Amino acid sequence: MIAPFYKYGLFGDEVSLILAAVIGVGFGFFLERAGFGSSRKLAAQFYFTDMAVFKVMFSAIVTAMLGLFYLSWAGLVDISMVYVSPTYLLPQLIGGLVLGLGFIVGGYCPGTSVVGISTGRLDAVAFGGGVFSGIFVYGELYPWLADFVKSTSMGRVTLDSWLGVDVGMVVFAVVIMAVLGFWGATTVERKLARREAEA
Amino acid sequence: MNPYLAGMGLGLVLLLAFVLMGRGLGASGAFSTIVAVIVDAVAPAHAQANEFYLGYLENGYGSPFKSFLMFEVIGVLVGGFISGALAGRVKRTVERGPRMSAKGRIGLAILGGTMMGFGAKLAGGCTSGQGLSGGAVLGLGSWTFMIMVFVGGYAGAYFLRREWR
Amino acid sequence: MMNRADPRAWGINQKLAFLAIALGALALIGSPSPGGAVTINTQELADIVESEVDHVTVEELADWVVQDRADYRLLDVRDPESYARYHIPTAESVELRDLHGYPLYHNEKIVIYSDGGIHSAQAWFLLRAEGFAGAYILLGGLDAWKDAILFPELPADATPDEVASFESRRAVSELFGGKPRTGGGGTANPAEIPLPKVKPPAAVAAPRARKKHHKEGC
Repeated sequence: MIAPFYKYGLFGDEVSLILAAVIGVGFGFFLERAGFGSSRKLAAQFYFTDMAVFKVMFSAIVTAMLGLFYLSWAGLVDISMVYVSPTYLLPQLIGGLVLGLGFIVGGYCPGTSVVGISTGRLDAVAFGGGVFSGIFVYGELYPWLADFVKSTSMGRVTLDSWLGVDVGMVVFAVVIMAVLGFWGATTVERKLARREAEA
Repeated sequence: MNPYLAGMGLGLVLLLAFVLMGRGLGASGAFSTIVAVIVDAVAPAHAQANEFYLGYLENGYGSPFKSFLMFEVIGVLVGGFISGALAGRVKRTVERGPRMSAKGRIGLAILGGTMMGFGAKLAGGCTSGQGLSGGAVLGLGSWTFMIMVFVGGYAGAYFLRREWR
Repeated sequence: MMNRADPRAWGINQKLAFLAIALGALALIGSPSPGGAVTINTQELADIVESEVDHVTVEELADWVVQDRADYRLLDVRDPESYARYHIPTAESVELRDLHGYPLYHNEKIVIYSDGGIHSAQAWFLLRAEGFAGAYILLGGLDAWKDAILFPELPADATPDEVASFESRRAVSELFGGKPRTGGGGTANPAEIPLPKVKPPAAVAAPRARKKHHKEGC
């Protein structure tokens, strides 16, 4: 049997919802383990004192990327059936910037705010309320935004097809960048900790 | 927990989602579903005329709530609580820097959340759906998005140091 | 972190970094597919045709339609007039020459049918060559759909087992507006039985197929 199992009809819709909940439990568990139920921990990323956001996010990306690569290499996963969100360059550029600013102002992102709520953080509850209102504002403005949101559409583009290189090359580059990034992040953290201890 | 091990755990959960479902993780979609259902309950004609709300209302297996992301986010609530309870980290509190009032922090959290909700919909996903999941499958738009999230965060950090430092 | 002067120089972090780099380097050798340009592996395609794994049977398809499944796209590659006269519910009309550039995703399961199998086989080859790994042919095409789903036949000398399975097929047939045939060879040839009427064709097919599409992003 080849994966993704759902798309090859190994199980139906009801089972997929149960699996969704199980996957969610794992997701929430590791987000909380990483300390991401705390907005101070998340915000510390942007003051260079604790770069856990970068470290956790990129070790997760490297793990899943390597896993997918080798599973598809072994013929166990049909990679063409795995969803890649389509590229809309300009909306994603602007959206990412607005989201990044919201991250440092609010201290959470939607996923981590759910973990914050479940561990009793009242600022996470307020943040979640904000997310609802932001989506509502977007929905109300949608008739005017629709053209922009659908602009610069490039379809299902991956880095390897965009650069015209082997996917293995991109996988290797991402791993190297991540490991160098981890090393750099740890070095900066140490320097700042030393400076604060001296001060 | 060691951040690399926590990240590997997250990565394996993400890989499980790819293998089982052929899709990644997400969060903002569940928030959008709830917004769309509320708008539809208050003003059905208004919601039905809007392509954005309609997309979420027609999603799901028979009901907008019977969708992957809704069930996944309920799981996140449970999983987060389990981990927090095991570590003794469940506590009713307002997280803020030493120089920040609780009221001010709540106000900023609402403002930040609003920006986040708006930005996530503009980009077609949040840090989980677009960043983590799109990053692992090497989507061009997802990587563009991720770089901009860090740019936005660092650009705003100086002005908000009173909130956190 | 790799080369810091520490007695525990090979802690867990260093080991993980080493493992990641090693797996990353191995990926350089084992690239499964070249990026960018489309390459056609004719041997692989021929093998797929030979092993018949690229097929969906009419019974499977009928199940999917009945269950309202949303994880497939059904393409009718006959001419639009035939499509207007009758088509399998949820099908979209695409002519062979319009197939290139028709909005499909590479991660979709795409089922193609024509009257028999020739046109759908051509369409299947086209899609496969463009890298749509999820393309399938409806085995036997619309002819098989009529025979097995719309107008199933119960032979006069049927065994009790056959009669039992015919009852469920009768229900499916009636659901699709067909007409089961009982009593053996006496009844009409399927080609002469009028096909079920299709409600306004354009309005039924296209929007319905889109509407059933589940979101995969946030």
